[in-house]
Amino acid sequence: MANLREIKTRIESVKSTKQITNAMKMVAASKLRKAQDNIINARPYADHINDMLRTLKNKNISSDHPLLAEISGKGKTAYVVVTSDRGLCGSFNTHIIKEAIVNLKKNPDADLICIGKKGYDYFRKHSTNVTEHYINLFNEMNFGVSADVAEKILSLFLDENYDQINIIYNEFKSAIQQDIVVKQLLPIIPVESEESSKLDFIYEPDEDTIIYELGRKYIHVDIWRIMLESSAAEQGARMTAMDSATENAIELISKLTLNYNRARQAAITTEIIEISSGAEAIQQ
Amino acid sequence: MSKIHIKVIQPTQIRIDKEYDHVIVPGIDGDFGISLDHTPFITKIRTGVLQLFQNETCDEYAIHDGFVTVENNVIKIVCDTIERKDEIDIARAKASKERAEERLKSSKENINFRRVEASLKKALVRLELKSD
Repeated sequence: MANLREIKTRIESVKSTKQITNAMKMVAASKLRKAQDNIINARPYADHINDMLRTLKNKNISSDHPLLAEISGKGKTAYVVVTSDRGLCGSFNTHIIKEAIVNLKKNPDADLICIGKKGYDYFRKHSTNVTEHYINLFNEMNFGVSADVAEKILSLFLDENYDQINIIYNEFKSAIQQDIVVKQLLPIIPVESEESSKLDFIYEPDEDTIIYELGRKYIHVDIWRIMLESSAAEQGARMTAMDSATENAIELISKLTLNYNRARQAAITTEIIEISSGAEAIQQ
Repeated sequence: MSKIHIKVIQPTQIRIDKEYDHVIVPGIDGDFGISLDHTPFITKIRTGVLQLFQNETCDEYAIHDGFVTVENNVIKIVCDTIERKDEIDIARAKASKERAEERLKSSKENINFRRVEASLKKALVRLELKSD
């Protein structure tokens, strides 16, 4: 049996770890709430841009604008991989990276654009396909930051002859569930919706300019939404991971305390035996 | 008398959701007024001043980069930034105007002209609206 002091230090250290994981859980919970609010607030804007684009596309089916074009299968493909900047969030990043690797196997020449430090750290070492990376965005996240990223991705798509840009990210389902989503970012596929109007709008200055500008905005808001989803999912994953870490710590503490008490009792018993046998020896 | 419903939607919130008599929007090809029963219409907004008229009063906003949709007496405006006249921070607008002008003068190769131009316009509109 381990000696008493060893067990005691062990208990202390597990206790302080438990405090940290518990605090991290609380912080993640409050950040999660904020991220969820942001997602809800961004919805009307995203919906409206989508409706406008859908209306335009319905009206103008033959549009060959590059932002809305069909995939020709000739140009390059790129994957945008959205991970978190920080660890300690369970399997959040591992799943994304695995999914990205599966996609890269299918398409070995595809380029990678990494958003988030964890993904970048991995692919920097294991792949030569990384063309762009954006790290440490999630801490100070606002619409301007995500718009900058979106603008870069857009100019890559329009200038560098990409045929298709896909994005891989975690979608927030609930605090304990994240779904991995692989979807086509560019060319844009506006979501079918009931709101899209059948009215014959007048467009000013002309439809092509509007398509281009609306397409840009669509990507801005899509990247914004995806980053919000990912950060909500990250906080959710962290919350669950830290919750189970705290549980484990509590369990470990109770086991160690039991061991400690056993060791203490054994020590007392030995001491009593020593004393009583000593006393007996004197009597004889 | 019926009125026009105006919705101004930002990425982070719905900013205005109210009824007005008449509005003037800074369109990409010039300012235009929208009254009751306007034809369905979509256009891009340039950086400028949005005026909303209600009875005899007029609310003025500095608005930047967005779209306006007119449909069945509902006007939906999506934009990145919008500020009411009394929310404008003069010192900040002045500083950003000077910064943009400096950037343009320095004529380095690697500056993004579109962006500098946009921020200069934004600052000028704010100052103009405030000085009225």
